Amino acid sequence: MNQTSNSCSNFSTRLETVSVLVHRAIDAIQQKTIKKRNLIWLELTGCSGNIISLLDGANPDFKSIACQLVNFIYDNSLMASEGEAALEKLFSMADGDYILAVEGAVSTKDNGMYNIIGRWKGQPVTAYEAVKKFGEQAGHVITVGTCASDGGISAARPNPAECVGIQNLLNRRVIKLPGCPCHPDWFMGTLAYLMLFNEPELDARQRPLMFYSTLIHDICPRRPYFNQGIFASKPGEKTCMFKLGCRGPVTRVDCPIRKWNDRVNWPIGDDSPCIGCAMFGFPDKMEPFISYDTT
Amino acid sequence: MNDREIFINMIDDNLNEMSDTIDCLYTTSNFRVKNKLLNRLRKSMSNISMLTQGLRNDTSMNNPQPSSDRLFTLDELSRYNGRNGNPAYVAINDIVYDVTGNAAWGGATHFGLTAGTDVTSPFASCHAGQPILSKLKVVGKIT
Repeated sequence: MNQTSNSCSNFSTRLETVSVLVHRAIDAIQQKTIKKRNLIWLELTGCSGNIISLLDGANPDFKSIACQLVNFIYDNSLMASEGEAALEKLFSMADGDYILAVEGAVSTKDNGMYNIIGRWKGQPVTAYEAVKKFGEQAGHVITVGTCASDGGISAARPNPAECVGIQNLLNRRVIKLPGCPCHPDWFMGTLAYLMLFNEPELDARQRPLMFYSTLIHDICPRRPYFNQGIFASKPGEKTCMFKLGCRGPVTRVDCPIRKWNDRVNWPIGDDSPCIGCAMFGFPDKMEPFISYDTT
Repeated sequence: MNDREIFINMIDDNLNEMSDTIDCLYTTSNFRVKNKLLNRLRKSMSNISMLTQGLRNDTSMNNPQPSSDRLFTLDELSRYNGRNGNPAYVAINDIVYDVTGNAAWGGATHFGLTAGTDVTSPFASCHAGQPILSKLKVVGKIT
């Protein structure tokens, strides 16, 4: 019951979407029908889990996008430069054409002084300043992960640094890819789509419908157990975890199809309830993550 | 747009589609196409059947007159928190609904709300205009 059916054409088509988009964009770049775009990736108030997740991408992998799809201009975790030399690369794009990816929320308390991303010409640069400067001028802004999209864990109660999602600070529309972390496919597919066709179709919460259209509950391999009223009483059992407080019925994203770590598994496949990490309000509104003694 | 108008619009959409399908049936002689169109007609009929049922429920439940005469104080309601054998009830606009088996109420909680409470205000801010209440069982009202 934990294996997603490979015979379902809906599932297999969805799994191929990102690979098709990325390779089509790379082909178009090689044929010079579209231009390679510059990519800036800002890591702000978060855990850097999204850039790590991106490195875990498979078919297409990180190397494909870093070498063939975009000019990866700036990411503080991955670039060889450090200190002002790194910031020099970032600020060299100030008036250029680039796509901005942001992970992590933005600390706004005391003018953002609780998150300094580096020093430029001797002065500290706050995450707040960086988002305002590079966000308003970017060709597109993609918020990668739940913190950048809606505040997420960084903005969880009591939120001492007064963190907010990126959209709260920008007078423009951003594309949101919530998830803790964001699946590499969601980012790579969105990036390739932007380069090929401009903005993908988004839902009311600014998430691409190609990834965020379906409730986990509706494509969950354990759905038959729910329908039959067979429920797990503790994690580790192989049945439906609705009574444990599973958030699959309120979370729209395609984890059951795409899975994680080179498509090996996902939380429910490992007998742990969905905690709704790709949904607005995570984590505060998704707690408690586990409930016992539910009727 | 209220639930009733949504149901009526959807019924109208299905009737329009049936009309188009019948027009196509007059013009085709290919039996495969004919079968496909007949299947489409049957699907539309099934949709309409479901929607009329929803309309009936909407009339009786979305502007509900509680089928049960049972009265709850807020203190009594708090016992129905979905734990230790108690069902999960919530109150919306003084009507008490059963959410025990409702998928969106996993672990008897929903977006930070817990069963056994009055959720009128968050319901209004998040679900206005959505046909949700008609699908819930009414168990009483708040005194």
